[in-house]
Amino acid sequence: MSENIIKVDARGMACPGPISALTRAYRKAKNGDIIEILATDPGFKPDVQAWVERTKNELLELTEEGGVIKARIKVTAKKA
Amino acid sequence: MTKGFAIIMYSGEAEKFIPLGVLTQTAANLGVPVRIFVTGFAMLYFLKNKPEPRFSKEFEDFVPKIHEGMQKIKAPSWYDMLKDAKEIGDVKVYVCSLMAQVAGVSKEDMDPIVDEIVGATYFFKETADYEVIFI
Repeated sequence: MSENIIKVDARGMACPGPISALTRAYRKAKNGDIIEILATDPGFKPDVQAWVERTKNELLELTEEGGVIKARIKVTAKKA
Repeated sequence: MTKGFAIIMYSGEAEKFIPLGVLTQTAANLGVPVRIFVTGFAMLYFLKNKPEPRFSKEFEDFVPKIHEGMQKIKAPSWYDMLKDAKEIGDVKVYVCSLMAQVAGVSKEDMDPIVDEIVGATYFFKETADYEVIFI
């Protein structure tokens, strides 16, 4: 089964912009989708972890390269 | 996590609207309800005809730097953050009925971002289980 990957580019956005962009993408997403988001806000790492914990989704990857933070989130907590 | 945030927006100083926008949008992102009670001089900025933003006097020399910094990081205005938060989450903006009367304004004079003019009793009852933030 192929996964539906939703890409969100939140580079250059300041707090809480990237999390708002993520929330917008999440609203349209379905369980099983993967949201891949890029951000440069220095608070994004702890923020995205808190968001995932609060919304009870799954953080697959959280990496940083050259000042760009990448998070991959599996959507698991959408109510049908 | 709290059941919600009751934000009492009192100050009319321009720099204090930034945390209003940031906190409201963040709560909305996390699915936490927000009720904003607009009173004091803040109310003027929730009218259709808003006065020019006024920053606090003691930090006046810092204002150009704030402007420059906000532009540099392309930060949205507090108003856009609030509008966005209302779209994403459970956010309501109430204007204090006492202040509305003092200023001689009614619902028609309010910016569309305002949901209702209410009294403090209604606000406290609706936000009884919420945490209060005073700005």
